[in-house]
Amino acid sequence: MVSAEAAVAVTKDQSAIGPLLAAALALPGVMPSAAHAQSAPDKGIFEAQYLNYRDWQPGRNRMTVWAPAFYALVPLSDTWVVEGGMVYDSMSGASPLYFNVLSGASIGDYRTAGDVKVTKYVGNTAVSLGGFVSSEQDFLSRGGSLNVQFFSEDRNRTWLLGVAGNNDRINATNGVAPNSKRNSLEFVVGITQALSPNDIVQSNLTYYTGHGYYSDPYKPLDTRPTTRETWAWLTRYNHYFVDADATLKLGYRLLLDSFGSTSNMFEAAWAQALPWGFTVTPGLRFYTQTSADFYMNPPFPRGFVEGQDYSADTRLASFGAITAGMIVGKTLWDGWYVSLRADYYRQDPDWQIFGTGSPGIQTFSARWLQLNITKNF
Amino acid sequence: MKIFRQTFRAMAAEHEIQLAAPDIDRARRAADAAIADVMRIEAKYSRYRDDSVTSRINGAAGGEEVAIDAETAALLRYADECYGLSGGLFDITSGVLRRVWDFRRDPPVLPTPAELASAVALVGWREVEWTAKAIRLPRAGMQIDFGGIGKEYAADRVATICLEHGMRHGLVNLGGDIRAIGPQADGTPWRVGIRHPRVQDAAVAGFDLAAGALATSGDYERYFEIAGQRYCHILNPKTGMPVRYWQSVSVVSPLCVVAGSCATIAMLLEADAPAFLESQGVQWLGIEADGSLRRP
Repeated sequence: MVSAEAAVAVTKDQSAIGPLLAAALALPGVMPSAAHAQSAPDKGIFEAQYLNYRDWQPGRNRMTVWAPAFYALVPLSDTWVVEGGMVYDSMSGASPLYFNVLSGASIGDYRTAGDVKVTKYVGNTAVSLGGFVSSEQDFLSRGGSLNVQFFSEDRNRTWLLGVAGNNDRINATNGVAPNSKRNSLEFVVGITQALSPNDIVQSNLTYYTGHGYYSDPYKPLDTRPTTRETWAWLTRYNHYFVDADATLKLGYRLLLDSFGSTSNMFEAAWAQALPWGFTVTPGLRFYTQTSADFYMNPPFPRGFVEGQDYSADTRLASFGAITAGMIVGKTLWDGWYVSLRADYYRQDPDWQIFGTGSPGIQTFSARWLQLNITKNF
Repeated sequence: MKIFRQTFRAMAAEHEIQLAAPDIDRARRAADAAIADVMRIEAKYSRYRDDSVTSRINGAAGGEEVAIDAETAALLRYADECYGLSGGLFDITSGVLRRVWDFRRDPPVLPTPAELASAVALVGWREVEWTAKAIRLPRAGMQIDFGGIGKEYAADRVATICLEHGMRHGLVNLGGDIRAIGPQADGTPWRVGIRHPRVQDAAVAGFDLAAGALATSGDYERYFEIAGQRYCHILNPKTGMPVRYWQSVSVVSPLCVVAGSCATIAMLLEADAPAFLESQGVQWLGIEADGSLRRP
C-alpha cells in the first residue's frame, strides 16, 4: 500500500531535543521509567522471605540458619516514601568458618535486626534518612544513614552521595573483652547511568573507616588491629536482549582492606523471561582474596608472637570461591510474585588467582535456599 | 515471537495495538492495561461527557475556579508551551469556533462576519487564569478542549504501559496517530504510510519507524467545499477562518504528543511552518496545496 514515492528513514541520531519535546517530557507517563533512574515509587511492596542456610566441611556439618525476613515499602504521598525490614535469624551448629575450633562448643544463637528508611523526593533530588538496629545475645549494632540522590533532568543519570555511621557493642558470652565497642563511618559516592533503553551501568565507590574491637572473642589468641579502613569499588552493568527477552547482568567489585587483604569479585547472571510469567536466572560468581597481614596458616598457633596481631580465622586466609545459583520466579495474578532461589558455594585455597592460596585449610561448602513471596500494591 | 493484535474504539475513532512477544498472555495483559488507560483519558477529558474534567471547567466559565489534578496541570502546561511557540495559533480555547463552522451541514453554509467575530471573541488562552492547582475561564461561553493533544498523549502512554509490561516490539495506532513501541519482531522498522490527502486509501509516502511517533494533520478529515474552495476543520483562532496552505503535514518525533502538536501548529502556521519545524528538531513531510511534497 505504500507507494514509496518518498521514504524518509528515521535515524537514531535525530537532531537536538526541540523545545516542544522538552516540554512534553514533563507529561506523566509518556516515557517509560524503566530505562530511567529512580524517582518516587508510586506502588507499595510487601515481601516475605524464608532463608535456609547450611554449610559444611569435609566430614562434618557445621551450621544451619533459618531466617524469616519481611520487607515493606509504602509510598505515603507523591514525594514521601517509607520502607523498612525485619529479619530473625536462628542459628545452630558450630561457629562458622572457623578452622581448628578448640572449644568445640556448639552455639545456639538468635539475631533480630530491623531497619527503617524514610525518603523525600524534591524535584530532582531525593534525601533518605535511615536507622538500623541488630541485636544478638552477645552483640548489639546500631546505625544511621543519610543518602542524597540527584537525578538528571532526563532521569537517565543518578548521582548518589551517602554517609552511614555504625556503633557496635560486643559482650562475648565467654567474658572475653567485656563491653567492647566498635564505631565506624562509611562514605559512598555513586553513579547510575542509563546508556540506552536496554543498557544501564552503575558504579559505586565506598570508603569505610572504623576503630574499636575487631577481634573474634571466641577464637583463642585472636588479636586484630583496632582500626580498619577499606575501599570498595563496585560496578554493575545490565543489558537487555530484546529478541531473547532476557537480561545479562555483570558485576565486578574490588575491595582493598587495611588488614592487608585484597579481594576481587566477578559475577554474571542471565535473567530469562519465559512463557506463563516464568523467569529463570542462572548466575555464577567468582571471588578471590589474598590473606590479611596477620593471618597465620595452620597449625594453630604457629606464627604467634606475643604482642603482635594474630588470627587463625580462615575467613582472613587466601582463597578463591565460586557461587553457582539459580532463581526461578513466577509472576502470579494481581501483583503477586513468588521465587525460589538456590545457591551453592564452594571455597578452596587452590582457587586463589592473584597469588597462592593459604596452605593447610580445608575446602568449605555452603548452600542457601530462599523462598520469596512479593506483593505489589 | 507471536503477534497479538487488538482493535478498539474510543475518542470517536478506531484504534489498534499490535504487539509481538514470546508470551501472548503477557502481550494481552499489556494491551488490556493500555486500553484501560485510553478509556480513562477519554472519560476524564471528553467534552461530550458531563462529568469530565473538561466539562466541569467549561461549565464554570465566567464563574468560580475549578480545582485540577497534576495530570491536567501537566497537559495545560504543555498546551501553554504550544501556544507560546506557535505565536498564539495553537489555542486550546479555539474549540468554540466549531459553533459557527458546521462541517456536517448540507448544503454547507459559511458563517457571517458577525458570527465569526462573536466566536473569535470567546477565544483567548492568554486570558485564562490557571495555576498548577486550579483553572478559571474568565468569561461565560469560553471553552477549552484537549482534542488537539489528548489522543496523542494517550498514544504515548499506551507505548509506555506496553514497555513497562516488558513489550519490546509493537505499534500503537490511535486513529492515525502512530507510536512505535519498538521495531517489528524481526528487528526491522515498521513501514508507516502517509495517507494521500485527496485519494482515499492511497499512500503518498512512507516513513520507517523503529521507535518514536508519527502524526499527520490534514485538511481532509472534516471539511466542506463551496464554489471549489475547501474549508477544513483546522481553524485559525485569530481570524476564525480555516487554514489553506497545506493539504497535510506529517511529523516524526520521539513522542506522539509532540508529533501531533507540531503537525497541527505547522498547518496553522501555513507558509511559516518549515522554519518552525526546523526549530523543533523534528522530521517532517508536508503536502502543499498543489499536491507537491515538501521536506526539510
